[in-house]
Amino acid sequence: MGATDLLGRPTTEVEDELLELYRRAKALLARDDLAPCARAGARVAAVGLWNAVNDLGLEHEQLLDLGA
Amino acid sequence: MGAGEYWNPKTETLGREELTALQLAKLRRLTEWAAARSPFYQRSFKEAGFVPAQLRSLDDLRRLPMLTRDQWMASQGEQPPFGLLPVAGREAAIRWHTTSGTTGREPIRVLDTAKDWAWQAEMWCYGLWGFGVRPADTAYVAFGYGSFIGFWGLHYGLEKLGALNVPGGAQPTDGRVRQIVDFGATVVASTPTYALRLAQEAERLGVDLAASPVERLILSGEPAGSIPQTKALIERLWGARAGDTAGMTEIGTIMIFECRHQPGGTHIIEDHYIEEVVDPDSGEPVGYGEAGERVVTSFGRGIIPLVRYRTADLVVKVPASRCRCGRGFDLYEGGILGRVDDMKLVRGTNVYPRAVEGIVREHASVEEFQLLLTRDGHFDRVALRVEPSPETTDAEWDDLAARLAKALAEAHEGLRFEVERAGVGELPRFELKARRTVDRRDTPIGG
Repeated sequence: MGATDLLGRPTTEVEDELLELYRRAKALLARDDLAPCARAGARVAAVGLWNAVNDLGLEHEQLLDLGA
Repeated sequence: MGAGEYWNPKTETLGREELTALQLAKLRRLTEWAAARSPFYQRSFKEAGFVPAQLRSLDDLRRLPMLTRDQWMASQGEQPPFGLLPVAGREAAIRWHTTSGTTGREPIRVLDTAKDWAWQAEMWCYGLWGFGVRPADTAYVAFGYGSFIGFWGLHYGLEKLGALNVPGGAQPTDGRVRQIVDFGATVVASTPTYALRLAQEAERLGVDLAASPVERLILSGEPAGSIPQTKALIERLWGARAGDTAGMTEIGTIMIFECRHQPGGTHIIEDHYIEEVVDPDSGEPVGYGEAGERVVTSFGRGIIPLVRYRTADLVVKVPASRCRCGRGFDLYEGGILGRVDDMKLVRGTNVYPRAVEGIVREHASVEEFQLLLTRDGHFDRVALRVEPSPETTDAEWDDLAARLAKALAEAHEGLRFEVERAGVGELPRFELKARRTVDRRDTPIGG
């Protein structure tokens, strides 16, 4: 079964790609073995992708517990 | 309209039913977050008997208690410095800002996380893109960057969409005028008042702004960006189009913007906010076309959830179909019309500062003005203090004063306005949030 957005509509190929990147950025940010420079970059990436998936109505959540 | 019209074509063009469904989905998550993490909402939801599971349709929004500025301030007093609304402390944030303090009251203090801060720039992208700003633009930000949140989001929004950003920073007005011209700015961002001041300064310097590359002005920080006469004057002096926006520290960024079609109002960014309009006395919703108070719920700032915040802004909501841009976002006709408590009662006549400004701005020779209300015994007096351009002759002043007095009386049931000439540079100048109405009627004689 394919993914859906917050309206319950099937996601597009581009949206699936964005969601995958977003999840990977979050997973990276959740690790405790990142160098400060890597953590800062991962945070910027996660925040940037959060804006995209949030704008597109794909996901809506908080990142506070990941330090963002 | 082509997809290039919109920053976010997917949600900006949603129909009302889908937009409402999206808002409901986000509202559920926001209230769950607030109920789980914010001490303020844990208490207020409990007092109201509200639990997020009660949200079955957007009509259930009314089950949620409204939040007032007074409650926010009381919360700051209860637990300084940020109060009980935040879900985390300063250690989780990357920015600390405050309200402008122009009212003389204790400021609201706000925090933002990295995600919240990036979202604020994102909201500006909706507005900037919607008014036609593109990566090829050079944008000059006439803003003295400080603790007031003001144009910070615009600054980062410009960079995000790829425009060349020139931060004006703190410097004299003549220096800013020269930079705008020297850098070949195509976009200038400022308050409406400051856009006029820049134009006046340019004239003194012999700089023809209308002949400069500036094509767009992004106005924010004051309601005047949607006062037709003020906007027309700004557009004429600059030879450029002026687009209104409005935001507030409590949400951190803008919530409305004027699109490039300039429909006489500002679109609400409805995929990121729920904007209700209510009767200020009863709190009951009013319909399209009726004036009421803005109540905002924001899906953006996570560290300080904002649910049903009473803004005291006076607005009139009209349907999205009023504009031909194709957005599904409703509009506020005339932008923010003022504050619900803006109206002044003078000898039984209602005086609205916005209406006075509209009349004054029909006269380009007025450089600055002030509406002064005083009490003489039991008699209220209303004076319009006007600072005309320095080269105005006595005869020209007499003519201007007579025309202003006549127009003001006609617009206010014959109420007599005393029109007084102020000296050059006598009246205060403003970069942010002009305060031109001075009501001294509660000041004791000699006070």
